[in-house]
Amino acid sequence: MGGNPGGAGGIDALVRDDGRVHSAIYTSQEIFDLEMERIFHRGWVYVGHESEVPNAGDYRRRTIGRQPVILVRGSDTRVRVLANRCRHRGALVCENDKGNAKQFRCWYHGWSYDDTGRLISVHAPEGYDQTLDFAGNSLTEVPRLDSYRGFLFASFAPSGKSLAEHLGRAAGYMDISIDASPAGEVALDYGVHRTKYHGNWKLVGMDGYHPTVLHASMFSLRSKMGQASYQDPWEDASASATRHLDNGHVMLDLTGSRMHNLQEHLDTWEKVEGGPEYVRAMRAAYGRERGDYLLAQMGDPHMGVFPNLQLIGSHARVVIPIAPDLTEVHMFPMRLLGVPDGVNEYRLRRHEFSYGPASFVSPDDAEIFERTQIGMMAEADPWLNLTRGIRRETRAADGSIAGRITDEIPQRYQLQAWKDMMSEAA
Amino acid sequence: MNGVAVELLKSVEQFVYREARCMDEHRYDEWLAFWEQELLYWVPCDDTDEDPRRAVSIIHDRRAQLEQRVTRLKGRYAFAQQPRTRLLRVVSNVEIESDSGESLAVGSTFALGDWRSDRQTAWFGRNRHVLVRHGDGFRMREKKVLLLNNSGALGNLTFLV
Ligand code: FES
Ligand SMILES: [Fe+2]
Repeated sequence: MGGNPGGAGGIDALVRDDGRVHSAIYTSQEIFDLEMERIFHRGWVYVGHESEVPNAGDYRRRTIGRQPVILVRGSDTRVRVLANRCRHRGALVCENDKGNAKQFRCWYHGWSYDDTGRLISVHAPEGYDQTLDFAGNSLTEVPRLDSYRGFLFASFAPSGKSLAEHLGRAAGYMDISIDASPAGEVALDYGVHRTKYHGNWKLVGMDGYHPTVLHASMFSLRSKMGQASYQDPWEDASASATRHLDNGHVMLDLTGSRMHNLQEHLDTWEKVEGGPEYVRAMRAAYGRERGDYLLAQMGDPHMGVFPNLQLIGSHARVVIPIAPDLTEVHMFPMRLLGVPDGVNEYRLRRHEFSYGPASFVSPDDAEIFERTQIGMMAEADPWLNLTRGIRRETRAADGSIAGRITDEIPQRYQLQAWKDMMSEAA
Repeated sequence: MNGVAVELLKSVEQFVYREARCMDEHRYDEWLAFWEQELLYWVPCDDTDEDPRRAVSIIHDRRAQLEQRVTRLKGRYAFAQQPRTRLLRVVSNVEIESDSGESLAVGSTFALGDWRSDRQTAWFGRNRHVLVRHGDGFRMREKKVLLLNNSGALGNLTFLV
């Protein structure tokens, strides 16, 4: 490792095996720079969904770490991620957030690229004495792009772990979102809630300890869950769990308590317009057992795919680090294919209740991340305590590591993956 | 503009100014009383205000959700409003776009300053109120707020706009 961020002992000393973590990993510019290089500009990073670029020429502007890129479907039907940087003198070639284009024309000196990134023309080409190598001046393509059922991940590393290896057990749980559709397909075409907070990107985490405390105002609105048989999924005594899947992908695994509450969830669908047809379609598509399991989950795996994707509620959430103390969070509600409109509308309104800048849940998260970022500047004793449940971790039958819902398994294992990536020099 | 039209515009202006002041001062119950029973409070998102059934909104409240919003804000546990955001808005460019007799569509613009956590944030937007005549005054049936930056990354917007 070059340099020595965070003081003596470097990265290794900052994230200890006993659950103690040094707050410099959330506050240091030097560590942030290293995260860009070793996590975001190297590993697999979520960049978008195939449904965002259905047709040739469809594009979205995105960033991978610090780097502006274009997610674009070429006229050859292939989806690519291209550096949004003119090969001449570096200007952006795509200035709109989204759209459809046959060409990306750089407005500085007029170099133009087609939707596959190929340089097709330059202004006043005679100045290059026929020596300009057009083929060698395509927009730079991010070397690896792969999809899991429409979710697109890119990596700047030309080789290394495949996406399937990277996702590991996480892939099977992503299915909870996707298979909430009886057609097994979702589209991210409802727009996006973009939010920001003045805090570190890793604070978004995945935390089962905080909801009953931090989100008390929301629970008091929803306290009418009625039936005595209803199991509170946020209680340690519930069938919920925290789970480390693989490579820092973690989950607030509410599947157990949701199955316990299956009847409440089915009753909910009874009342939603189109809900009864939805229940029938799910059982027809997946069989009664799997269908009911998926209905009980309400399409919410409540998981984090390290480092920048979360599937929560009915949305895909992208975590975008801007600076050590500034983060954007973009939330894309997912539309289910093959369901009555009323079902999707119900999901959309439910999403707005909890998520977005004016909602009843995520603003309180943003607020506490900001307070945490400020609090961590008191560095006299910089060690955070992430030890909750460290002595009651168990290995589940599928090989994942599990604990009670309030345990800090997600924090510990995300940071273990973080440490592994941060310690790889090359 | 004749005398009657001027009077109507004046009373509409006074109404939207009073509503603005009420929001600035976090007088939630009073603000709730500005509304009709059946209502829509809509803050579109992501530059789309076509069809809220096909696009996510920042706020899309009917009465039940609006009452929940107010209940939450009045309680002790809405941490994003502890402490409360200090607010000051200037409402201007009030225009009566249409008048059906029973109700009026009113356009206006606003500049809103917010001060919280040692940071000042500026918001701008365009309102569209649907006002229903009520006694000698009005009640709001609909309010749509188009924020200038509704496609940008937004911070804390848990106060009333
Ligand atoms: S920088 Fe793009 S054409 Fe010169
Ligand atoms: Fe939360």
